[in-house]
Amino acid sequence: MADTPPRSTGEPGPGGDGRGTTHWTEDADDGLGLSDGDSESLVRPYTITRGRTAPERTDLTLITQVTASDRAGEENSRDARRLQPEHRAILGRCRHPAAVAEIAAAVDLPVSVTKILIGDLIAEGWASARPPLAVAEGEGGAPDIRLLQAVRDGLRKL
Amino acid sequence: MAFANSESSPAMPSPEAVKILVAGGFGVGKTTMVGALSEVAPLRTEEVMTEASVGVDDLDGIDSKDTTTVALDFGRITLDDSLIVYLFGTPGQERFWFMWNDLVQGALGAVVLVDTRRLEASFAAIDFFEGRGMPFIVGVNCFDGMRENEEEEVREALDLDPDVPLLFGDVRRRDSSRDLMIALIEHLMAGVPA
Repeated sequence: MADTPPRSTGEPGPGGDGRGTTHWTEDADDGLGLSDGDSESLVRPYTITRGRTAPERTDLTLITQVTASDRAGEENSRDARRLQPEHRAILGRCRHPAAVAEIAAAVDLPVSVTKILIGDLIAEGWASARPPLAVAEGEGGAPDIRLLQAVRDGLRKL
Repeated sequence: MAFANSESSPAMPSPEAVKILVAGGFGVGKTTMVGALSEVAPLRTEEVMTEASVGVDDLDGIDSKDTTTVALDFGRITLDDSLIVYLFGTPGQERFWFMWNDLVQGALGAVVLVDTRRLEASFAAIDFFEGRGMPFIVGVNCFDGMRENEEEEVREALDLDPDVPLLFGDVRRRDSSRDLMIALIEHLMAGVPA
């Protein structure tokens, strides 16, 4: 199964503050100094992801439904303690299925950062995801008529 | 792998989720419409845009030419246990959300809101959906149902394809916003080959 290789979410230690790993700002010392308070809001999210700026999974969309697995109940296990606080916050938000966008809003992180962290959780079996049905975009395809009917009928009841 | 098996994951089946966009210029009532329909207070999420083509942005004091943060508000309508509609209000600064592919990809369609006093504010959204081949309808937001224009006038001013439905409504009202949504879905259904 050509899946994302598991990433060791534990490194480089609890909190994963990125020290000791290559940070994306490393070759831009002058412009984006970490001491600059104003850029902190941009830099910090990618510190959480330990330098990764793009999700490796392309199947996580804004409305992909993410659900914590049963394993997420083992909050005090050794494995769970290795998770970053942001990973735990995400798991806490998706005990019931929740969309990627809802999770991002709840944990107050940019969508792409949230996707990276959700990708970690899926890779390690903490969560699973259900992508939305592929909806064809104009180009010859069409959405499922039954789905549209269900949406219309549901809206009529509002 | 957890992901591959997720369709059959036992305990809590995930609902089907669909996405509809609410677009239009700044201040035409996008977030108002999202809020009128959403069962929860509209949520805000953001994305960091890193395209070099963003151009000058308005982030305060950040010396970064190619990074900006785009925020959008969205809401949720749970139609039943198995079906959820997410309603995304596109950010006002068009030049940013046009680059947010994930926002547009997979959307069923869009409601483009227009304010007849500032029709031009919604031109960019109409152009974008036309160019993208994404189905949309136009909702003319008229507060308190005051129609200052006839449908034909607005259509002409927007240079709207005759097939694109145009409705008048007051997006502060839930029933009015709902009717715009239903009109969009029916427009989509009309486009599905029998």
